[in-house]
Amino acid sequence: MEAYFVLVLVALTSLGAGLLEARRQPRSFVSLRAAAARALEAAGLTIVFFLANVATGALLTMAARASKVTFISIYLSTDVTLIVLSLLQALVYQRWREGRLEAR
Amino acid sequence: MAGSEEIVPRRAPWLTRGLGLALVLGFFAMAFTPLPNRLHRAFVAPEHLGHAEAIVVLGAGANLDYLTERSLRRAVHGIRLYHRQLAPVVVLHGPWPGWGAAEAAARAELARDLGVPDDAIVLAGGRTTREEARESWARLSKDGRTRILLVTGSHHMWRARALFERQGFDVLPAPVNEVATTGLRPEQRLALARSLIQEGTARLVYRLAGVI
Repeated sequence: MEAYFVLVLVALTSLGAGLLEARRQPRSFVSLRAAAARALEAAGLTIVFFLANVATGALLTMAARASKVTFISIYLSTDVTLIVLSLLQALVYQRWREGRLEAR
Repeated sequence: MAGSEEIVPRRAPWLTRGLGLALVLGFFAMAFTPLPNRLHRAFVAPEHLGHAEAIVVLGAGANLDYLTERSLRRAVHGIRLYHRQLAPVVVLHGPWPGWGAAEAAARAELARDLGVPDDAIVLAGGRTTREEARESWARLSKDGRTRILLVTGSHHMWRARALFERQGFDVLPAPVNEVATTGLRPEQRLALARSLIQEGTARLVYRLAGVI
């Protein structure tokens, strides 16, 4: 139960949101698949931004160490906040790209 | 095409969707299955305790006024090994002041409070594991102390052991689990997975760079 409790919470609130949306717009489930696909794209972009951030951090770390100006710990590049920031980067980038495509 | 929308094909969303799917599946596998717990068992080097000439406790960071949890765990493990009379000396690592908080000094204070005599405590610097291996060698080899009990995180042990052996030490691994390894909560499993991924990547980089 300990392992799956949060899944139960998420399932219940997702069901609630789904029912609410279905009452407001009865045919809205048609667009659910497209929304899921776009969410997967955002997740994929998050990985791309995260890896780019980590790689940039590693390069800056090595450059700083080689220059002997300062010392940067490599662990700074794997800070957990980088995942959240990468997600924000991905969402903004995705919206920006979609807006650009719609404007054409 | 005034008044009508130009349909622009989206470029290759399949790659990002595929990556996204991999991320979601990976997340569920790591958070809600025992996969990270099993990977941990396959990843760690077994403990090999025995009599040595020194106990070397690697650094793990300190904030301004306190040791990080990892640093504290390693220090306490080293002190326990000392009290089990497995070695006469404890080397406590940590970057020197100017490179962060005085981790080694804070650990020394802890060791003294827990009954380790002053003359059994050796302070050493080092900002990376490689520097720590060099610092330990400089302090211990001159007294002929080359057989050591190495105290570090269980995931970090493989790299640390290789670097210390390369320096010339005969290493007995005394690993410390720094994250919950049998936890059932998703948060605990994710912390374990993060540590495994971080160290797995580091091992790969070390191998590719020819460091080990």
